[in-house]
Amino acid sequence: MAGITPELEALGLSAVEVFAEIPCWVSVQDREYRILAASRKLVSDFGEHRLRKCYAVYKGRSEPCADCVVDHTFADGQEHHSEDVLVDKRGLAHSLLVNTRPLRNAAGEIVAVMKLFADVTAQKELSSRLHDSLLRFHNLFDNAPCFVSVQDRKFRIVASNRHFNESFGDGVGGHCYQVYKKRQDPCPRCPVAETFADGQRHTSEEVVVDNHGRQLHVLVYTAPIRDAAGEIASVMEMSTDVTEIRTLQDRLADLGKLVGGIAHDAKNILEGLRGGVYIVNLGFRDNKQEDIRTGWDMVQRNVTRLSSVILDMLHCARERSPRRLPVSLPQVMQEVAGLFAPRAAEFNIALETRLDGPVEILGEAKDVHALLCNLITNAMEACNSDADDSKSHRVLARVFQDKGDAVIEVEDNGAGMDAATRNALFLGLVSTKGNAGTGLGLVMSQKVATEHGGKIAVRSEPGKGSVFTVRLPVRRPEAISA
Amino acid sequence: MAAPTTLKKVLVVDDEADVCVYLSRVLEENGFRVRSAADGAAALREVEQERPDVITLDLSMPETSGVRFYRDLRERPELREIPVIFVTGITGPGGSKDTERFYNAQRQVPPPDAFIGKPIDPEELVAVVRKLSADRKPAAASA
Repeated sequence: MAGITPELEALGLSAVEVFAEIPCWVSVQDREYRILAASRKLVSDFGEHRLRKCYAVYKGRSEPCADCVVDHTFADGQEHHSEDVLVDKRGLAHSLLVNTRPLRNAAGEIVAVMKLFADVTAQKELSSRLHDSLLRFHNLFDNAPCFVSVQDRKFRIVASNRHFNESFGDGVGGHCYQVYKKRQDPCPRCPVAETFADGQRHTSEEVVVDNHGRQLHVLVYTAPIRDAAGEIASVMEMSTDVTEIRTLQDRLADLGKLVGGIAHDAKNILEGLRGGVYIVNLGFRDNKQEDIRTGWDMVQRNVTRLSSVILDMLHCARERSPRRLPVSLPQVMQEVAGLFAPRAAEFNIALETRLDGPVEILGEAKDVHALLCNLITNAMEACNSDADDSKSHRVLARVFQDKGDAVIEVEDNGAGMDAATRNALFLGLVSTKGNAGTGLGLVMSQKVATEHGGKIAVRSEPGKGSVFTVRLPVRRPEAISA
Repeated sequence: MAAPTTLKKVLVVDDEADVCVYLSRVLEENGFRVRSAADGAAALREVEQERPDVITLDLSMPETSGVRFYRDLRERPELREIPVIFVTGITGPGGSKDTERFYNAQRQVPPPDAFIGKPIDPEELVAVVRKLSADRKPAAASA
């Protein structure tokens, strides 16, 4: 037998014995799939099945397998490989790599095929576990409810999760500072750079810009990713969107300031009332009509202010939508101007109205009335608080249509405002103090404008005056009143 | 010809006209001569024109704030000795931007001589003004 050396023969070992002792699962089959011989290990683990059909013994089948490597080897004389699962005599399933090789007779004809089964069950299980781990990792990475990216030392993104990609696009290959912040250079302070430098975790709060151009406030956490040698190969950056929290905090802070402003002004109103009562009492004590009149004026003035503050607060707190009834803006403007005329005359302010044609909206007349009162009050206050006594102060209130909008414009040439004051106006943070009250009036005015589907804007310059413009949807002829 | 007055003079600084009237009447009723100003700039003009014995000062005012006026006052040697009472709705640090700014500047500017919170207790106001003005000679008009 080929391959059996004289040295083996000298030891008295036959080819049959050597074959039988091969320390793995080996069998020899003929064209009829009969098992002609098997290694002792195969017999030991799978049983003695000599001359029985391979497919019946190992697979429990009544017919040959559809794709049989023994068939292929008989057909083409080549070695073939396949994967298979066989169950041993103890009922344990084994994942196998099957290799075949033809056995030829002296004439070179293929008379049998040798099959070698390599047990890869352990490797298969490890591979399966690795696959599961990778899948789990990818699921965690992808479905983490925050923006996750992995970056190299040049801040290039080498991996990013689904949430990141949805908000910032597929950033892989791009630089973090470009993708996150649309910058051309690295950020001055970078937690990723800090983690590369010291191997520690770092945090920061950043403002980034998403695909839609929206600014997001994010809390950033970084952590090193080390290679097998313990070197920092990359850094993971995890960012949590805290935009809503920051917005709420800002609103809360604004609300705190508003409440503080109201409390401060309420104290002044209370002081005015106490002062009025004090002077009235002096008048009674001394029988001085002038004191009684002065004190009573103070009481009346401050009761009016208190009423105004309370009404503004109630209006700001109201949640209901205004009714949609036809409201003539020129008519309401005339009423309000009539109310303010005596006060304007008292302060030597020229209060003018310019009403261009019939302009109607759908809404709540008393809300619009309150809005106009607030705007004119503010305009007169701006004139009264103007340090420039050389001016002839004037308030011009206009109503007109423009580009399908009903427009109310109240212009004054009073003290005017700087940019910071303008920006804080509609937050209720600007107290006009002294007379009009808490600054709530403009918050209320904005609320009325918004509730009526419109908006309010202001232009102002210190020393020159201000223009408040309210734009509301004009009532169309076909509009149906509710 | 009337004899020159020896009444102690108080400058009331507050942008609330009614508060000015109230404080003025309380102080006048108790023997003080009172002038008033509606903001820091007007107050400085008043002080330069006629030096008061005591100043009651609101902090949060438009235009020149009370804090700014107070700092200006303390930086001028000829005016820095005038006692100042902060009369404000906010009597502690952190309550408003004005007071924050003031307290942040504590190293450069000494604290006021007294705080009186709103709502004002007239008796307390009179007592504090009387105490602070007691040791001062009636102020003369400045040059």
